[in-house]
This record gives sequence, C-alpha cells and structure tokens, in this order.
Amino acid sequence: MSESGINRRDFLKVLGLGGSSLALTGCGNTDIRSGDELIMPNVSPEDFVVPGLSVFYASTCTQCGSACGVMGRVREGRVLKMEGNPQSKISGGKICGLGQAAVQVQYNPDRLTQPMMKVGNGLQPVSWDKAMATLNEKVGPKSGIKGENFAFMTGAMSGHLKVLVQNYLDSLDSKNHFAYEALSPSIGFAANKQVYGVDMPRLHFDKAKLIVSFGSDFLGTGASPVHFAAEYAKFRKAPRGTLVQIEPKMTMTGANADRWIAIIPGTEGIFALGVANQLLKHSEFTNTVPAGIASLVSKYDPETVSQITGVRPELVGHVASLLWEKTPSIVISGASAEGHAHGVQNAVAIQLLNKILGNVGKTIDGQAKSPFPQIAPEAGSFSSLKAMNDAMGGGKLQAVFIHGANPVFTAPSFMGFRDNLRKVPFKVAFVNAADETAQECDLVLPILTAVEEFGSNIAWYQPEGVEITMQQPLMNKLYPDTRSMGDIMLDLVKQRRADEYKNWPDFFSYLKAAVINMKPAVKYTDTDEHFWYDTLSSGVIHIDAPQEQIGDSFAEAALSLPEVQNVQDPKFPFYLVPSERHYFRDGRHANCGWLQESPDPLTTIVWDSWVEIHPKTAASMGIKEGDYLEIASQNGTLKVKAYLFPGIHPDAVSIPLGQGHESLGRFANGVGVNPFTILNPVFEKDTGELAMFGTRVSVKKTSDSEIVVKDEGPVSTQMGRKLVVTLPADVAQLSKEI
Amino acid sequence: MSITNLLNNWSFYRNKRPYRGQYDLNKEYSEYKWAMALDLDICTGCNACTTACYAENNLPVVGKKRFHHGQVMHWIRIERYWDEKMVDFPEQGASFLPMMCQQCEAAPCETVCPVGATSHTNDGLNSQNYHRCIGSRYCSANCPYKVRYFNFWNYPSTAWPAPLPDQLNPDVTVRTKGIMEKCTFCVQRLNEAKSRARTEYRLVRDGEVVPACVQACPTSAITFGNIVDPNSKVAKMWKNQQVDLYKDLQEKDNTVRGYRILEDLRPFPSVMYMERIRDTEA
Repeated sequence: MSESGINRRDFLKVLGLGGSSLALTGCGNTDIRSGDELIMPNVSPEDFVVPGLSVFYASTCTQCGSACGVMGRVREGRVLKMEGNPQSKISGGKICGLGQAAVQVQYNPDRLTQPMMKVGNGLQPVSWDKAMATLNEKVGPKSGIKGENFAFMTGAMSGHLKVLVQNYLDSLDSKNHFAYEALSPSIGFAANKQVYGVDMPRLHFDKAKLIVSFGSDFLGTGASPVHFAAEYAKFRKAPRGTLVQIEPKMTMTGANADRWIAIIPGTEGIFALGVANQLLKHSEFTNTVPAGIASLVSKYDPETVSQITGVRPELVGHVASLLWEKTPSIVISGASAEGHAHGVQNAVAIQLLNKILGNVGKTIDGQAKSPFPQIAPEAGSFSSLKAMNDAMGGGKLQAVFIHGANPVFTAPSFMGFRDNLRKVPFKVAFVNAADETAQECDLVLPILTAVEEFGSNIAWYQPEGVEITMQQPLMNKLYPDTRSMGDIMLDLVKQRRADEYKNWPDFFSYLKAAVINMKPAVKYTDTDEHFWYDTLSSGVIHIDAPQEQIGDSFAEAALSLPEVQNVQDPKFPFYLVPSERHYFRDGRHANCGWLQESPDPLTTIVWDSWVEIHPKTAASMGIKEGDYLEIASQNGTLKVKAYLFPGIHPDAVSIPLGQGHESLGRFANGVGVNPFTILNPVFEKDTGELAMFGTRVSVKKTSDSEIVVKDEGPVSTQMGRKLVVTLPADVAQLSKEI
Repeated sequence: MSITNLLNNWSFYRNKRPYRGQYDLNKEYSEYKWAMALDLDICTGCNACTTACYAENNLPVVGKKRFHHGQVMHWIRIERYWDEKMVDFPEQGASFLPMMCQQCEAAPCETVCPVGATSHTNDGLNSQNYHRCIGSRYCSANCPYKVRYFNFWNYPSTAWPAPLPDQLNPDVTVRTKGIMEKCTFCVQRLNEAKSRARTEYRLVRDGEVVPACVQACPTSAITFGNIVDPNSKVAKMWKNQQVDLYKDLQEKDNTVRGYRILEDLRPFPSVMYMERIRDTEA
C-alpha cells in the first residue's frame, strides 16, 4: 500500500470502515486507534461454533413423504452430513441414501439463487421487491383474483405450511388446493377405506411369520422405507419369517423374497381369489366370509387362475398352504397390483386373504389418529392434477401457484398439461431449481431448501402414536436472494388478512406460537420456552393418541373382478411396467450426482434409462444387451437400450421412472428417457386415478446399440465361488445367534 | 538396510501376522482391532451404505463415461448375483453382497507396495498413506476383493462444481490425481473416538464409534467394534459364529452362518459375513 501512496488508515476510510470502533487487524496486528500490538484470532467464531468440532442438530428429512427424523452434522456453520435421529420412531436413528442426498440438494450447483420473471420466451432475473410487487399486482386484493379463478398446486403436504396454504386459499375464497403426487398411494387408500374404514392401517411386519406381498416394494419405495426396513430386520430374526412376493417386475423387496413369483400385471386380484378359494376349503376358514363371497371365489380353481395370471397352477395351492401353515401372516398390496383400471378391486381381493386368515387385529390394526386435523398429512393424488388440468383447459384459471410438484415433467403427454398451463395468464413456481414446470411460469421464486428452513411435518404412515417431526435450519441460507416458503406464504396471507396474522412478523414466530399451543397435547409441564427448545433439540413431538378402530367389511360387488384380463392386443403385445426407483421416485431428485452414480440395486446400471426385458423374450426377438429398442404406446415412443433381466414376466417390459429431464440441472438433463410421457389414458374406475400399469406397448428392435454402463461384471453369477453363501432356513439356528 | 543386515536379522524384520497375542487389551498400542460382522440375510441391497460413504469420505462422482472405464470410486459397493441354477426366473430373489476393503491382517496389497505407502496400523487397519503413494497400482492388482480405487483424474478440479465443495468433510483429505485410495473403516471417526477416550483415561466403549455405512444401514445389518474386547458385540458375534481371526480355515458347524470371503487365499480379513438364508419350502 505504501507503494500506491496511501496508508492503511486511509484505505479503511475508502472502504467505509474508517473510524470504526472495532479492532480491524491487519498484518501488523495493531490497534487502529492506539497502535498497540494485539493478538487476535484470524477468525472470530460465532456462537455455538467451535472450530474443528461437529455439532448435531435435529431436523426432518423431506426427500420423501416418510418424514424421518434426522440429525444434521454441522461444522463451521455448514451442514456436512445427514444421519438418522434416534429419537424419531419413524427413522429409529437410521437413514436411506435419498436422505443422505439432502446435502446435495442444498449445495446443488444448479440451485436457483434469485427470483426470475418471464420476459419474452426466457426467464430473466429480477429483485425480490419487483417479484413481490408483481405478486401483489397480479393476485393481490386489487387484482380481482378470487375463488374459482385461482388454484394452488402442491405436492404431498402436512404441518403448518399446509395450514398457511389452506388459509391463503380461504382468504381468496378458493377451494382449489390441488395436492398432486405422480406416484400417489390413493388407490391403495381407497381400497383400505372400503375394507378397514381408514386410509392406511398399521402393518406389523415384525409380528408376522409370513408376508405375502402383491407388488408392494415396502423396503424401497413404500410408505416409510426406513421404518419398514427396521421392521423387516426384526421379521428376519428368529423365528425367521418368510417373504413371498408376487409381481410382474422384481422390485428391491422382491429381490429379498424367499419365493418370487412373476405374474401378468393386473391379474394379482385373481391370484388372490384363487388362493382364497384354496384356503376356504379348510373347515376352519369356511365361515370367515359370507356365503356370497365364498361362492364368488369358488370359480377360481388353480387351472383357471393359472390361465389368467400366467402363474403355474401348483403355486396357487402352494401360497395357500404357506398361509395355512404360518400364522399370523400379513398380506399386502402395492403399486403394481393397484395401478390398473380395477386397482381398488385388486387390492380388496388381496385384503380378503387377511380377513379369511384372521390377520386383522393381529398383524394389521389402526394407526394413531392425529388430534390436529388441520396439520394432518395430505398424501396427494393424480385426480388433483386432472382437476387442475381440466380447469386450465376450460380457461377458468387466471392465476396458479405451483410448489413441491413438477407436473410438466410428470404429467402424461396425453393430458396436454404444458399447453393447458400456457393458457393461464399468471403462473408462479416456488422452487429450488428451475425445473420443467418453472420454465413455463411467469414468476419463479427461489425458496430455501429443507435444511435451511423451519417447519413441521407429519407422515401419513405413523408407526407408533403420532410423531410430529420438526424441521429447523441446519445452517444459514446459502444465497441471500432465496426466501423461506413459510415467510412468503405469511406475506401472501397478510395481503388479505393482515389483522389476523399481525402478531407474527415471520414464519418462525408463527410456527413457534403454533407449536407452543400444542403443549397441552403432549402433557409437557415446563415453561413454553423450554417446550419450544426441547422440541427443536429432540426434533420430534410425540403424541400418544388413541388408535383408530378398523373394521373389515367386504362387499361382493368389489370382489367381482373383470372376467378375463389377459387380452392380447396384437398391436401392443407387451405390458409396460413403469418402475419406481427408490432413490429417484418421480424424478425430483435426479439432479444429485450421488443418486445418479448409485447403481440401481437390481440391474446395477448408473446414469441412464434402460428397458428390462426377459432373456427368453429377448432371445426370441434377437435382442442383446445394449440394443436400442423402440417402446411405443398409443401416446408416444421412447428409444431406450435393452437390459436382459430375468426378474420380469416375459410378456412385460419395464422402464424406470425419474430420468429424461430437460431442465433440472447438469446431472439430470439429457440423461435417459421419461416413461411418464407415453402412458395411456387408463384410469382406475373407482378413484379416477391414473392406472400407471395399464399401458400396453410394442417393442421394436433398432439397428443402434450402445454399451450399458453398469457396476455388474461380464457375468451375473458367482461362478461357483463362495461369495454369498445361502443356507436353507431349516438348517440355520437363528435362535442361538447373538 | 543392507541385504546382509536383512538376512542376518530375518526373524526381527519379518512381520508375520496375525499371531495370537498380537492384540491385547492390557498392552499399550495393542488394545484395538477393528472388525465387522455383516448379516447378508437382512442386507436388502438398498445402497444407503454406499451413499453414506460418498457423503462421509469425500468420494468424487465420476460420471457415466469414467464409470464405464472402471474408474468409479465407490469404497463400498453392493454386488448383485443371480442364482446359477436359475431356470426362468430368480425365484429365490437376488444375492446382495456389500463389498468394501476387508482390512486383511495379512493384506496382499501391503507386501507389493514398492514404497510402503500401504501398511498396517496398530489397531489392525490396512492404512493408505496418500503422501507416500506413487500410483504404481500394484496393490490394486494384488487385491483379491478389488476394493482399491485409483484416482485416474484430478477430481478436486472437476468433481465438485461450486458450491458442492462446501459439503466436503474437513476431517477427510480430498485425494488428487495419481493416488490410490480405499475404505478406511472411517479412520477419522475412529481416531477422534480413540483420542477422546485417551483424554478420559479409558478405552473406546462398544458402540461409541461406527463407520458411516454402519450408522446409516436401515436394517442394522452391519455390526462394528473392537474385537479385542471380548465383551464387544462384534467379538461375541465372531465367537458365536465360530470364526477365528487367526485361522485361515474355520472348523465350524453346518448350522452356523459366519464365514470370511476368499479365506483360502489366507489374507485373514477383518470382515465376517453371515450367510444369506432362504426358506427352501417357500
């Protein structure tokens, strides 16, 4: 500095720091005022930050809807790693890979860091002031937006953010809250409601000696994979339970089965009735169902069932005899049994086995009922997408908000969602990254990630009591121009109801007040402040709510399954199984390097899409691994490379969901194909949900081929080496183990 | 060292391991021998362990092309095998095998390193000294489990576009081009726990420290601990499964599930696997 002719004191003045009463130490460590030598650390730590020491803060994982309690490892003000929170009954201190990737969402290089506004055909950065002013102009009290002409689309939702969304819609006199999940559990819910009177009963895998699962991937993608994995571990300890999995394409759960049975998609209900028919022959079970149902079931003899389902006839009796021998058991249905036009019927037929076997009340009972209906979870459905799409297509909507969903990516192309969205004059997306939906919006607002945000969550599957999992920021926000979704919602509610919300300057104070008001429900005796801090530090509020009572009623009509489902369509001879990958789900997490590079458990393929085809089918068509195939439905064609996979029905082909992004970020864009686009308009007839497994396709080999990048070596067996040794269950003596 | 010196004092320089008495709770610097027990019957193949390892150990994401070239850096991987006797369908499911460095006592990788970059620690780990490694890759060639990973590229400059480096674990080195690396049993966690225990004049308690994979595993299929301590869970499991650290061929009952992989090569691995079970009546 002396060379340029200015001294240190002048330099500080230029920077606007002159005359500061703070000791700004430079190389010489001298006090600015007195010139005394000082010894000062280079970095003055903030409160609670001890350099070199990690601190763990409790929060909630929002990567899927299970609401696992997690702990974030924080060092020097940065969150580095997610671990399970042992105080959470849902996670039990464990975590899956998807949960680990929450830090890659946080530090994602493709995060949106400032508000964007549509100018011409592209998005241009704007200031928050401008963005909020635009919001006020377009949807504020003077805009004329009200009631039917406004819609708010969200993903699955629970907790206090859901309350604010609801209250905002109330302030607009609008009933248009469309909670949309592309892979929603709605069909299963409808069947449960019919049979048990509740959306979701509680499943006790640990108490069962036999699980018969019709396509339920409870270890990978089900209601609460981390919780169910722990239950499964207990189930496999002495006395070891047996798992039978019946599905068209092997899921991760199927890969762990003692007996895996390939079935033609959609015929699961028939198989269940065939098993029921065998069971009812035991005198013990004859009076468990009304005579009408018994006679309805009696036509499903093993030969008939085999013809319809493609399963060997002896397996019908075999599954029945397993259920007869091993009690208590539990029979469950999953996505591949439910995603059909008669999905509810299929699921009801499957649940009928529980009724016959007397499992209801033993391995299946009611969940605890949340005492706070306003914050109770909304699981999301496809019908909300359809309703919103129809409203947009009819030109009713003048403004829409979209948060927590990417409908432009996940809506099947037959819906024309993108075109309908363009008809809406004002569209706002609240996002972490400018995804396909955000690209279509007029205003795109960057919100905080789950690890920067306060919040409360309730999962729709509760293993014990009701657990409200709390979210607290694990670090300061990374980008100054991102905002809390809660704060934005509060601002929006205040546009019309300023008086009611005036006590809360931000979402934090609102949430704190709301949580403290819950204190009586948990019988906490200390002060409000203590309750709040205890809640944040443990990460969970546990409420011992009474269990819901469940019934078991079966209507004959529900069990009258369509006669012959195995219709051959010469134009589209194959069944399409769009499979849900456990780390990709509907594709929202595709832009994480860790998840792209985490091999698919069954095929070990990375960074790609593929189509699984049975080796026999492939041989008959001259298909080799890596050959590009054209998979065509009535609604589109995908070109995707073949992987020869023995765990699939020879009449089915399977393409994993989640890839094929155009705009999500550098790790996802241009990787693979999006099978959502080619789905047919087949709907579940009771619920109106999309029948995900109801699409038929044709398979055509092309002349192109490319190497499939995978972790698996050139051979897929152990070649006689003792790497994974298998012991028969009757030899093992698990009860003597530690 | 001259060859004469070496030959004259052969018994002094020759380091045969493992030998009984090598680890002893009452002997200084011999109190720890880290070991694992991995139950293949409850491992579901979910890859939570592998992702946890990426997060903990600063593993680079290499991308599709380099993955195809065999340059992936997953310190722990899940191998998937189909049954050899499979007819049409895999009716007994798949076989999953989590495979990471087995921390062999007589590690084949150690003897071939021309610069002594990989060697044994007092607590029974097969360590990798990044500063000393010259990248000959002999160790990788000699590893029967193929769990050593070589940095063919300068990953620090490409694998973490900003702000991803903010996630990196400050306790673990980010490795550069030309370096061999592998699973360390999360040695940074072990050292921290050992150091904490030392300041409190005690040994590390059972369960006080676990590697990232063990902590994440949703089914708790992996047990980790100090096998020198007879009261640790892992020592009890090894004993119950009749697997002896010091033996190359185990004499065990047929009903017992414990085994070590490729034991007949005599590397004396520190990871005991427990056989997968299938209900053959199902």
